[in-house]
Amino acid sequence: MKLGVFVSDYKVTVETLDRMKGENLGIVLVQNGVYHAVLKEGGKESALLGKTPRLYALSEDLQTRGLSPEQVDKRVKIVDYSGLVDVIFNDFEKVAWL
Amino acid sequence: MGVLTMGVFPGLVGSGCYDFALKLAGAAADKGHVVNIWFSGNATVSVKAHQKHLKDYSTGEKYLVELMEKGVEVCTCEACTVSRGIQKTESIAKIQWNAMHWYLSKIHCSDRVLQIGGE
Amino acid sequence: MADVKCAFIVQRPQYKGETSRLALTHALSYQTVEVLLEDGDTVTPSLCFVGEGLLGISKGQNAMAPYGINSSEMHAKNCLLVDLDVYVCKEDMERFGITENQLPDADDMGAEKKINIVPFAQIEKIMEEAKHVLFF
Repeated sequence: MKLGVFVSDYKVTVETLDRMKGENLGIVLVQNGVYHAVLKEGGKESALLGKTPRLYALSEDLQTRGLSPEQVDKRVKIVDYSGLVDVIFNDFEKVAWL
Repeated sequence: MGVLTMGVFPGLVGSGCYDFALKLAGAAADKGHVVNIWFSGNATVSVKAHQKHLKDYSTGEKYLVELMEKGVEVCTCEACTVSRGIQKTESIAKIQWNAMHWYLSKIHCSDRVLQIGGE
Repeated sequence: MADVKCAFIVQRPQYKGETSRLALTHALSYQTVEVLLEDGDTVTPSLCFVGEGLLGISKGQNAMAPYGINSSEMHAKNCLLVDLDVYVCKEDMERFGITENQLPDADDMGAEKKINIVPFAQIEKIMEEAKHVLFF
């Protein structure tokens, strides 16, 4: 279904996302969700990064939190608000904010 | 160009999600998309006029005015708004007041819907 | 003339936050949306309760006495009364130990619809078939 899912939290569980199949899913990391693209707790990356190859993080939310593009996992494409608009309209058939 | 409708529920102050919604709306409008914003829940407080922009707090008014000048339609849930003690006479000009079916009617003609629920 | 299908996915519990109640009231407004649409156009929400979201529709709620507000149970019954399709995730019912007879019906109000208990896979299918997916 090419669903783009917005993840805006880091620690708050997104149980529904865990249950959804990854093949038609994309993940857009915004707000505190961008920590998924950077942090390695206990040396382990976020499980979300293995969920789908279609991963995006919002540059303004990285910048706000003092996170540089170099810290971001290479699988994650960094987009600004303008780029995010294109992602919403071109890369997915529908979008959902968890 | 497409139509993007956003349902925004989080409050103006205390949730970055509100700021996100307005920034995204502006970026989409700048690219020529049609954008509709529906405020429900705590987000409806943001339609009150004469907000003072203190730098420790997010502000809605000046951005909402800019968005509406760009053609973005903004509508607040009347029931949610009056339940928070805000009357239509106190509202930022040009913000529409309506019932929940306004949101569904905009959803009907949208290419994308982003529903940002409250926390 | 077109019908637009929407999946309303309620994943948060009721009462502490407002979001999940607003899912029900927004879904109910499908009854009157036609006044703002062209003839023959409709919007049809399917209301799906998953995870903790399904905790809030159990029978026997009374939010009016302690807090002066309508219960989520009442909203769920109203959804059935106006012929909305309401789904509850089977796996989550089992996880939380909720049985079918703990779910409300609206027989006393004359509703014909019942709550559908379905596997999560069917809720995913509803999401697939919907034009828009809204999480609450």
